[in-house]
Amino acid sequence: MAIEYATPEEYGLADLMCCAAAREVQDNEVVFAGTGLPMVAIMLAQKTHAPNLKLIFEAGTLDGRPPEIPTSVGDARCEMGASRSSGLYDAFSIAQRGYVDLGFLGGAEVDEYGNVNTTCIGDYLNPELRLTGSGGNPDINSFAKRTVFIMVHEKRRFTPNVSYITSPGWRVKKWPGGEFVHRRELYGAAYRGGPSAVISTAGVFRFDEQSGRIYLDTCHPGKSPAEIKDMCHFDLDISRANGETLPPTREELYIIHEVLDPEQIFVPKVNKG
Amino acid sequence: MSLDKRITLQQAAEIIKDGSSLTFSGFTIWRRPMAIVFELIRQHRKHLHLIEVNGGSHTEFLVGAGCADIWESCWVGHELYGKYGANVSRKVGNKELIVEDYSHAEMMFRFAAAANGSPYAVTQTSLGTDIHNPEYDMLGRAGLRDGKRIAKHKYQFTEDPFFGAGSQVLIPAAKVDIAVLCVQQVGEEGTVRVNGQFYSDPEVARAADITIVMAEEIVPEEYLRRNADQNTIATFEVNHILECPYGAHPTGMFGRYDVDGSFLKDFYGRTRTQEGFDDFANEWIHGQSHMSYLEKLGWPRMLKLKANTALNYSVREKGGK
Repeated sequence: MAIEYATPEEYGLADLMCCAAAREVQDNEVVFAGTGLPMVAIMLAQKTHAPNLKLIFEAGTLDGRPPEIPTSVGDARCEMGASRSSGLYDAFSIAQRGYVDLGFLGGAEVDEYGNVNTTCIGDYLNPELRLTGSGGNPDINSFAKRTVFIMVHEKRRFTPNVSYITSPGWRVKKWPGGEFVHRRELYGAAYRGGPSAVISTAGVFRFDEQSGRIYLDTCHPGKSPAEIKDMCHFDLDISRANGETLPPTREELYIIHEVLDPEQIFVPKVNKG
Repeated sequence: MSLDKRITLQQAAEIIKDGSSLTFSGFTIWRRPMAIVFELIRQHRKHLHLIEVNGGSHTEFLVGAGCADIWESCWVGHELYGKYGANVSRKVGNKELIVEDYSHAEMMFRFAAAANGSPYAVTQTSLGTDIHNPEYDMLGRAGLRDGKRIAKHKYQFTEDPFFGAGSQVLIPAAKVDIAVLCVQQVGEEGTVRVNGQFYSDPEVARAADITIVMAEEIVPEEYLRRNADQNTIATFEVNHILECPYGAHPTGMFGRYDVDGSFLKDFYGRTRTQEGFDDFANEWIHGQSHMSYLEKLGWPRMLKLKANTALNYSVREKGGK
């Protein structure tokens, strides 16, 4: 069957981000996903090109096959069809042991080395706004071979200095001094990789493993590299820009809206017609 | 220890003293011992040190009510019903609450260390992050690291002495006075059977000096012992038990009832300010008993949340819709 891509009237940004994220998954990979769009993306991959992926939810579900989207990783739906239902000690031990190929995460701020903040806005000791805190973000990002971040794109969120490094990117702080070093130097035998992509509401970004710096890969339809560069407070490398992000297919939209999330809990249905 | 472990809701809250350190069963908005949390608020408990694998709605209630001085954990919010912990956020901003941040795996491994009697755990997580920023040791800054219940250091770095694997982080055992669990079934002697994901319940129960188990139902021990392989926690790890149906509401209980999303949305929306919190507490907590709370919620609402026994979740409610 020929692939039918949806027209711009048929999908929204959340659809586009989920599909772009799902395409980061390869079949048979072990994938760790958090609540929200990361969960939709991974289950979309499971129901399309990666039917044998092994899905781990942080609360303790190992190789789950939920028929529809759970409302959070603690939900009863998580463990439907799972190989094992257990707890957080297992989930994090498995991650630290090195089983996880890919993690899907979110974030409030990101810097040009992929350091992500989910802890606070402003000075940590006198925060303007305290956020949720780390959750498993740094753990999955420390242990997985690759991590993909799904984020809202606002200029203030793409910053040279995040308020707090919650989750480690490619160049991280070496304590006690706090000087930036390549993560390879800190992680020793536990070094397996790092952030591989950021999928925002504007485009898809990747990282140069050697320099650790972010660059623009694809622009979402309607955005130009220059526009996206202007949407970052750091100096975004657009020299490797590689055209437009592929739109969702009709099959992917069907799975998102009719199978996974018909209640529109995480992905609103778009009808621009 | 008395053979009879049964206590009342009021007695359960009374075991937790001003200044106690406290941890809980569950995960974010699932299987939190809310009935005991509400009773602690009614009894005006103060100066609690909450130390937990992850926070959630129960944290927000205790912090909003001014019951806690310290929150040591990694995450707080109401999942999709409230994107951050507005009460924790307000109190940390006003310096009314000390927040000590660890990562999620660090908190889990800290409880695992306490549960197996080790003084610390070793891990490779979160290297290079501000979680290990020495300036951000908040209990140290407050002069509370006495090396007794609160460790002398937030963390220590070491090099792997055995295999040359590089930097390792040593994190102190989570020493905690009391664990309060909320589960589906407990036997008359204290055997616990959790259905669904057991999150970090086995470790927190074992780590704490006193473990209180509040269950949807107390069942005959003999019934649970027929299938011991399905049980989660053994009798002697449990000090006190009580039966309290719907004791986790508004959080969810696998196989019994879902999270009450509209209740949590309402709480999140109304408790950004202290006045808002106090108003919410006056409506739902103060002057109420668990039974009057359930009566106020009403049958139609609870039936909507009731889980389908084959699927273990409600088919009438999803995500507050």
